[in-house]
Amino acid sequence: VQPPEKPLQAEEWNKLREDFQFPEIFEEVMLNAMIRCNSPIDVAKSLLTHLAKRNGDIPYNVLVKYLTLCVQQGQVSEICDVYDIMKGRFKILESGAYSLLIKGLSNSNQWKMALTLLEEVKKIMSPSRKCYESCIKAASRHQEMKLAFELYNEMLAKELVPTLDLLQSFFDISRGTKGAELQKELFGILLYLRENQIYPHKTFMRSIKLWFESLPGRKWRGRLTHIKDSGQCPVCSHQLEDSNLTEEEYSHLSERILRDVIHGTDTFRKTSPKELEAFQTFVENRLPFDIVIDGLNVSHIKSRKMQCENLFDAVNCLAKENARLLVLGRKHMLVNSSNWKREIMKEMQNKAEFFFAENISEDDAFLLYATLRSGKHCRFVTRDFLRDHKACLPDSLTRHLFRKWQRGHQISSSVFSQQPAFRYDCVVQTTGDTWHIPYKDVFEEKYSYQVPRKWLCIQQK
Amino acid sequence: MESANLLLRRIVRSSVLPFAAQHGMKKYLFPFSRTLSLSLCLKQDKLCEPSEKLDLDEWKKVMKSGLQEEVSEKASEPKDLSSLAAARETLEMWRLAGRAVPENISEEQLKAFMECPSKSAKKKYLKYLHLKELHKKNDKRKMDEKRERRLEAQDQASKTDETKKSPFVCLWSSTMDKAYNWRAAQSMIFGQPLVFDMSYEKEMSAREVTNTVRQIVLSESCNRRSVDPFHIHFCNFKDDSLYHREFIKNYREAWDKLLITVTDQCYTEIFPKDKLIYLTADSPKVMKTFDHNKIYIIGSMVDKSIKTGVSLARAKRLGLETAALPLEKYLLWSTGAKNLTLDQMMHILLTLKDTADWKKALEFVPKRKYCGFVNKPVKELKKTLDLINTLKLGKRQEEVENQFAKNYPKKYKRN
Repeated sequence: VQPPEKPLQAEEWNKLREDFQFPEIFEEVMLNAMIRCNSPIDVAKSLLTHLAKRNGDIPYNVLVKYLTLCVQQGQVSEICDVYDIMKGRFKILESGAYSLLIKGLSNSNQWKMALTLLEEVKKIMSPSRKCYESCIKAASRHQEMKLAFELYNEMLAKELVPTLDLLQSFFDISRGTKGAELQKELFGILLYLRENQIYPHKTFMRSIKLWFESLPGRKWRGRLTHIKDSGQCPVCSHQLEDSNLTEEEYSHLSERILRDVIHGTDTFRKTSPKELEAFQTFVENRLPFDIVIDGLNVSHIKSRKMQCENLFDAVNCLAKENARLLVLGRKHMLVNSSNWKREIMKEMQNKAEFFFAENISEDDAFLLYATLRSGKHCRFVTRDFLRDHKACLPDSLTRHLFRKWQRGHQISSSVFSQQPAFRYDCVVQTTGDTWHIPYKDVFEEKYSYQVPRKWLCIQQK
Repeated sequence: MESANLLLRRIVRSSVLPFAAQHGMKKYLFPFSRTLSLSLCLKQDKLCEPSEKLDLDEWKKVMKSGLQEEVSEKASEPKDLSSLAAARETLEMWRLAGRAVPENISEEQLKAFMECPSKSAKKKYLKYLHLKELHKKNDKRKMDEKRERRLEAQDQASKTDETKKSPFVCLWSSTMDKAYNWRAAQSMIFGQPLVFDMSYEKEMSAREVTNTVRQIVLSESCNRRSVDPFHIHFCNFKDDSLYHREFIKNYREAWDKLLITVTDQCYTEIFPKDKLIYLTADSPKVMKTFDHNKIYIIGSMVDKSIKTGVSLARAKRLGLETAALPLEKYLLWSTGAKNLTLDQMMHILLTLKDTADWKKALEFVPKRKYCGFVNKPVKELKKTLDLINTLKLGKRQEEVENQFAKNYPKKYKRN
């Protein structure tokens, strides 16, 4: 339907309504169309007036639709009126109307009312992150930074994830303002990015840079750069944090892998206790390895080659450096077949240790265990992203540890040019007088296994 | 159907109506008289006289005039509601806002709603209740229509002629029941056992258990109706478990009269291990023929969250033989998981038992999951599959190959 351009008289509305296919939902459909076309508010008003006169009442959903239109056009006095009417008519409102009201009012000089509404919402349900963000933005726009951060921390406590947009607005608004308290909060945001491995996008990064440079007294200077493979920053020649986990993190991760990934709810699902024990004694007797290879995964690198040839190439390539190799496979690889030649398998077994799991067992879990057990220097080769194993881990903290460890220890490449594992940790980091912040070029989320290569280096002079 | 609450409001508000009507009348009268004298002016339509101009905020007056009475009514109510009542109120508002929310909700359901851990879980639960309510309503409407038609037909019949005579007394359903029960009783003595493993309660949510039991009830009924029924065993069945409660909900008094064996023992304690075969889609072994001397085990589990390998783990732990249906061998699989519902499994096994015809048995696999039957050997089947894939990918496949040729010109030529 096409909404009219001018307010209509009652009979004109009646005619339109009768022509419409489903007269019962005419008002709703018409208001939806108005919202879509951003029609003048007077047109909607005339429709409501017509409806009120015909029925003596306006249903809730129509009121909400009208409210949407008012919010869309920032008609503050109308929003207040609708709120008064709704409050009188209904005992409580539902979340949709509340978030519309909060959004509408927070953009006006009535923003304090949005805060009272937020309190009202809290009584019946937990407010959405959109509600919080509108209120926080409103408060910070009016220089009530303390209130804004109170709300922000309350939101984090409810495990709502703030949008980058909100975080950016904090930096934009506090540019050039003094106050140790405020600075502490903003550094807190940077640490939040660090803890959750969030990377800011380019415009956000600029806001951070400008904020740092605007800080009075301490002369900060920010520059964009790429970090060398060695992990050294070319601007300030500071060495970035290395990607190794701490002792504590390391043992926590290996314990979790054994408990949640390999055992899980039932050891029999991925392997069997007997096999696991055999594997554990096998690994303990031959420790430590330098590189652990997922045999089956590597054998599929080139589809035009025989599978055992692929594996043979990989083993040869890696064995050159006199490294101790462990290849994990399944028993079916030992059976002579068109893809697995016995002679080649024999030859390989001279160059590397092999462990063959049952055909129905999962060898990936063994791969993780053997690598972790060998120590920090040990790396593993597979093209698998290991997402299903990451998903078995119980909490986001452990998953982040896993990701970090994986970045530092996984060698994955299609044609064996050996894409090196990262030596430095790609995360927001500070030494007090320097900050290094990785950032994304575009707003869109990258794949979780990819990390940005561009950095913002901020240094105190 | 209006809830009582709403109805009350309607009545209160009805006092507004005369007011609205008055105003409306005036508006209707004015333009009417003018069409005669000022038709030219009306055609231009834009410049209306102030008296004729719409009062755009009139709806507010109407809405607020209804308020006065309600405000006084509200004041008498207690201010703070209990959490249950508040939840009910919220639900009512959601319904008014046009969300998928049931009209009526019981205390028990309301509690379940409040215990949902997240907002999306709540939404899902409400949607489920809403759809359930819709189905119920539709069924009721259909029943009513049917009854009306029957009554009409009866009326006409009684007018026209008397009852027809027939040599048999009309006792269809109960006679059939007797015959079926006779067969089921026979199967309990001579029939081939079929085991339902009831040890998956911990693996499932309450909804999944309900669905499982529903599927088992269907399987049991189709088994009872078959020519040569299985002797059904429920093994690892704990009294007063969720399964048990759901079964009683489904069967009521009939639960104690069912011609099946229910035991808390494991199947390994009842039957020799070498005769047991655990049916699971994760099994590496594919079933070739139906063996009349073996005892097949079906895991009573509905798995909506894709927990792979759970039943395979059970079989592995007990060291049992496993088997999967040869779905890929006989069907050109298109979409969907390979695990079938319990009643489908039952249909398939019964058909296999009677006819040993895979094609007939696999008719019970849902049609949406496969493209067609294949009787050709596996190699040819693979070729067809490849062909379908290339057709599906179409141009993209070519592009990939071109890209490949660009990147690895030498190797590509050599091959």
